[in-house]
This record gives sequence, C-alpha cells and structure tokens, in this order.
Amino acid sequence: MDVRDELMEHVPRLRRYARALINNRDLADDLVQDTLERALGRTGMFQQGTDLRAWLFTIMHNVFANQARKASARAVHVAVDDESVHESEFAVPSDQIRSLEMRDLDYALQRLPMEQREVVLLVGLEEMSYADVALALNIPIGTVMSRLSRGRERLRALMAGTQPGARLQVVR
Amino acid sequence: MSDQQTPIGEEELHAYVDGTLSDERRAEVERALEQNPELAARISDYFSLNNMFHERYDRVLNEPVPKRLQAPAPRRWRIAANWPQFAGMAAALVLGVGIGVGTHMGRDVVAPVVGRADTRTVSADGSEVFARQAALAHVVYMPAVDRPADMTADHEQDFVQWLSNRLGTNVHPPMLSKSGFNLSGGRLLPGADGPTAQFMYRGPNGERVTLCISRRQVNSNTTAFKLYQDGPVNVFYWVDGDFGYAVSGGIDRQALLQLSHDVYSQLTGAAPG
Repeated sequence: MDVRDELMEHVPRLRRYARALINNRDLADDLVQDTLERALGRTGMFQQGTDLRAWLFTIMHNVFANQARKASARAVHVAVDDESVHESEFAVPSDQIRSLEMRDLDYALQRLPMEQREVVLLVGLEEMSYADVALALNIPIGTVMSRLSRGRERLRALMAGTQPGARLQVVR
Repeated sequence: MSDQQTPIGEEELHAYVDGTLSDERRAEVERALEQNPELAARISDYFSLNNMFHERYDRVLNEPVPKRLQAPAPRRWRIAANWPQFAGMAAALVLGVGIGVGTHMGRDVVAPVVGRADTRTVSADGSEVFARQAALAHVVYMPAVDRPADMTADHEQDFVQWLSNRLGTNVHPPMLSKSGFNLSGGRLLPGADGPTAQFMYRGPNGERVTLCISRRQVNSNTTAFKLYQDGPVNVFYWVDGDFGYAVSGGIDRQALLQLSHDVYSQLTGAAPG
C-alpha cells in the first residue's frame, strides 16, 4: 500500500489527538494539515516497515512545538473553541463550574504544561506504549514516565478542584 | 527487585494504570491498593481520566474529515455502521460463529492485494492483510467502545436481531470471562465484499483485546496460529475453512495466545496444531 494512502488512515486519530491537545477545532485541524503536508513532502524519508503512526506523531510533535515556540514569542492568545466553551464560563466561580463536566477536561488539559499534556494524551488517549511515546517525542523513556506521572497527577488535581465530590469514578 | 516489600514508586503506579507492569509486580500493587483506600481512589481517578479522554474526544473520530485534510486521492477506511454498544451481553451469549458475510475488512484500503480465486494456500497473501487490518481496526476502533453503555435484556435482544439481519446468520461472540476478559462491544466494519465482525473485550485492568472474524474468499484448510505485529499491537490470526480470525491486543504475547486458544476452542471445539 502506498504510504500516502496509509497516511490518510491516520487522519481521524491525528485529529482526535490534536483536538485534545489544542481544544480549538480550527487550530487543531491546522496542526493536522501542517503535519500532513510535511509528512507528504517527506514520504521518501519514511522507512517502510517502521511504524508510520509513530513517525506521524513525531512530525506533529515537531510542528506543534515549533508553533508553540513562535506563539509564545509573539504572545499570541490561543482562543478556546467557541463551540465548546463560552468565554464567560471562565469567569464563573469554581463551585459553579461543576456543571460543566467534560468541558472542565478541556480546560484542565490546557492548564498542563505542553510537555506533560502531550505525554498524558499519547498514553491515555492514543494508548501508545511508553517506548513509542519516547520515540515519537524523541525523549528518554524515563522522561516519558516522569512527565506522565506529574502530568496525570496534576490533571487529577485540576479536575478535583473544579469538580468537588466524587465526580471521578471508574467507569466500567 | 524481587523483594516482596519493595516500595511502589510513583511511576509504577502509572505503569499499573497503563498495564505495563509484570504480573507479579501488578499483584503487589493490587495488594497495596487493597490496604490503602486513598491510594486506590487515586488510581481509580487515573483510570477515570483515561476514560474521560475517550468520552470527550473519541467523537472526533466520527466527524467527517474536512476537505483540506483529505489526500489528493483519498481512499479512506470509513465507519459504515456503528453497532450499538452492547454491554453485559457476554453472559447471555454463547459461541457458535457462522457469518454468512463478506471477507477482508477494509479491502477498499488495501485494494488489489487480496488473493485470487485460485487454490492457493493461505500464505502471505490474504491472511496477513487480514491480520494487518485487524491490528489497524484494533487501534482505530477499540478506544471508541471504551465505556459500554447500560443495556437491558430487551436491548440485547434487539442487538442480536439487528446483527443477525445484517449478517444473514447468527453470530455470537465467544466468552473469555474465564480469562478475565469481558465483552464490551461490537461493530461491523465495512469491506468491499461485506462486513467483518469485530468484538471488543476488556480485561481486569482495562486491557483491550479485539476479535475480528471475516469470511474468506478462498476456502482453505485450517492453519496454525500466526503472529503479526504492528507496533505495540500483537495479532494472532488463523484461518479455519471459510473464516479468518484475528485476535489483537497490546497485551503480553503469551496472554494473547492463551486468549486465542480460548477463542479457537470455543468456536471450533478443538485446539489447532
């Protein structure tokens, strides 16, 4: 199968990950588009038989890190997706935010440092192995584990803060 | 390391959540959790977070891909039908799979690869493609059935009826609860020649395993289990007469093999050579 075709199979998952990462549909799709363009331009560099998904996530990570660097240099405000959260909701006192439920997740994720957010999502949402995450992000596996550990715990605390009581339950 | 009282590190707790601990270490963590409700609550939260990710973001998988993200000549594998989720069905159903349906799932993706109708043995031709697609289906679709919906007996009945209508014959997923895996959902996956049945199972620690069953174009003798590996996903697949089977999961190979034997013996009543 052509790498191009194979690449397209990954689009829905790239979009899902990007959406969780950026929480703004257009910006997330921009990231996917940039990733695809770069990948399509470099299909020659992809080694057949290796993990295409890891390769794509590596590219996406690089694009994302680049953009984040530029964005912070220019101090660009990344808007939260209008569809998912109204601006006014951020002004609501924390005890009223309870009703926001899953929207809190978007918000809490955005408050994680980018490095932790990536790892938490690659492991938790993409269900990549630690080794694959290490490969995709080009960091040692120990770093993956420590970022995961810190990120997940922080996310838990953030969610607990906005969701008093036993909102978090094991869903079986 | 083998000391039973080795304290459990922070990172090991996460490894536990992600199912990457060795069996013995996992058992030790579980003992610790039993004795420490606070810790257990924290671990439970970690599991919940992963579930929430899926609950929140899996919907993106089903959104139509915008034009700008489509390839010049897109040939994507689409979800033709989402089975209603059917939790708790495992108990009600027993084996006996006989699907009068199509063959290789996602054949539209793999377009011209599938073996022709000559009397070829099951070699690298079709069955490996099948295994590959099973692995793909595992990673693409498995997360979407992360959290089974509640389902009453009536719904189960409806579901089985619906499924039977779609496939033109009865399909019952095997039960793997003996090994700790419970049925958590099922889907029909599209293929050029008809649907493939995919069943999802969840293990005691949230491990996910899928079983794909598809009718083959070429009738073949029973083959031994073969292993296909795609990244973290292992797939054991085999062919038995008209049907191809693939058991996929990111779990330990031995455990997966055991499950495959389970599936095999339930579906055919014997163990392969």
